[in-house]
Amino acid sequence: MAASNEQQRAIRLDQVSKSYPGRMALYATSFEINVGEAVAIVGPSGSGKTTLLHLMGGVIQPDSGDIFLNDHRLSEMKPGRELSSLVGVIHQQYDLVPHLSVMHNVLAGRLGQWGILQSLMSLVSPKNQTLAVGALEQVGLVDRIRERTSRLSGGEQQRVAIARLLVQDPEVIIADEPVASLDPARATDLIDLLAKIARESNKTFVASIHSTDLAHQYFNRVIGLRNGEKQFDLPVAFVSPELLGGLYELEGLERESVVQE
Amino acid sequence: MRASSRSKFREGRGLLTLILAAALGLSLLSVDWTGGLLHSGGVSYAVRIFGGMFTPELSPKFLALALEATWNTLTFAVTGVTLAVGIGLPLGIAASGVLFSEGWLRTSTVAAARFVLAFLRSIHELVWAWLFVVAFGLSPMAAILALALPYSGILGRLYGDFLNDVPQNPLRALRASGASEFKTLAYGRIPMAMPDMLSYTFYRFECGVRSAAILSFVGIQGLGYQIQLSMDDLLYDQVWTLMYLLVAVIVAIDVWSSVVRRNLTR
Repeated sequence: MAASNEQQRAIRLDQVSKSYPGRMALYATSFEINVGEAVAIVGPSGSGKTTLLHLMGGVIQPDSGDIFLNDHRLSEMKPGRELSSLVGVIHQQYDLVPHLSVMHNVLAGRLGQWGILQSLMSLVSPKNQTLAVGALEQVGLVDRIRERTSRLSGGEQQRVAIARLLVQDPEVIIADEPVASLDPARATDLIDLLAKIARESNKTFVASIHSTDLAHQYFNRVIGLRNGEKQFDLPVAFVSPELLGGLYELEGLERESVVQE
Repeated sequence: MRASSRSKFREGRGLLTLILAAALGLSLLSVDWTGGLLHSGGVSYAVRIFGGMFTPELSPKFLALALEATWNTLTFAVTGVTLAVGIGLPLGIAASGVLFSEGWLRTSTVAAARFVLAFLRSIHELVWAWLFVVAFGLSPMAAILALALPYSGILGRLYGDFLNDVPQNPLRALRASGASEFKTLAYGRIPMAMPDMLSYTFYRFECGVRSAAILSFVGIQGLGYQIQLSMDDLLYDQVWTLMYLLVAVIVAIDVWSSVVRRNLTR
């Protein structure tokens, strides 16, 4: 692994495979992502995007192959403090606890760092409130801090999830179709926000998206997936709508409807 | 395979329904409809008893006594159910198995907790009361324990199910933020299960008030005790006063419960 670049590696996948009963979700996939890169994962539904992102986030374990974060083997890392400071995941659905206040949902980003007693005490009188306020200011929701999370709209909840990620402060931000549940304008806002956060603090940013426009605007690199296999891994300048369309067409989908916003 | 076992279950259920219906029919045939249904003078008793519905005793002296009995019953129920929540919640968490990953430790903890819960709730509070009275004599403590033990078995069982049945995605997101299973319980499972848990606890509290009224023979001057005294003296007006108070308490709990739940889910 005498890599040619002097840049630090944030993520390295080495022949990673993952299967679910009856189907191969990801097949012997390898690539590297450097610190501070913004990488888009594209591919039709069922191509293995979510599986790939969840593997990188330590949400699921590979069947074979190795994943390295900061050159540490992911499988040897303890979940909790160590893993949560390295990588944070924004899910397809915002996946907050609807019954808790916005404040508690944001501060849940600290659960990896807090002890058990601290965590329980914080439910009664929230700790690190300034952290929550700061994160909510960045996503523009600081005035909703005391509200029940279930009272917020889908887009607002997605922002609360981002605020939680800000409080967690991982080195790598992974977003699984962060825009799937939003209308195009809000989707762009959201990717814009995530990309800005990543850029400003030199965080590595990996997200699955559907449109070439978004890819060109916010990412350096695009990895194309189809049927659990890597089809291409190119700097964004080389990624044309035709290339992306080809990825989808092979699945028999209408290129127009998927590629264009 | 799953579908076939389900349809087999359906078939079995149909058969069971048929057998139960037949048993009910046969049991109706065995009732002696001509003679034994009412004892001699039964009709006049029935008139006196149900006539009391419309003329409950409302003298200040009796009302004071009845309210005190209601208060006693209520405190008894509150203490018993609170104790039951205290015992049932940890047992329910253990029985849900959510704190452990797959393995023998989880399997054995779940099995042990479920057994304890089943043991506690399979014995009726009247039987527990009987046992405690024989063991410790007539005392409020015996009555409270008699209520708390079976109720903790029932509450714990339901709490365990509620904690298991919450949506999984928010839990996964909490784990991704570095939360251990215990923290996931505190920040995800319990808050999400809370409306169901509260609603069921309130319902059980209602049941607890009814049971407490009955259990007052164990040594608490509660509603059941007063009802028994009035019945013995054939003072049915008083009986109805006491029963209306019981109804009032249940309705009050119901209102309280819906207010609390509305605040929680708003």
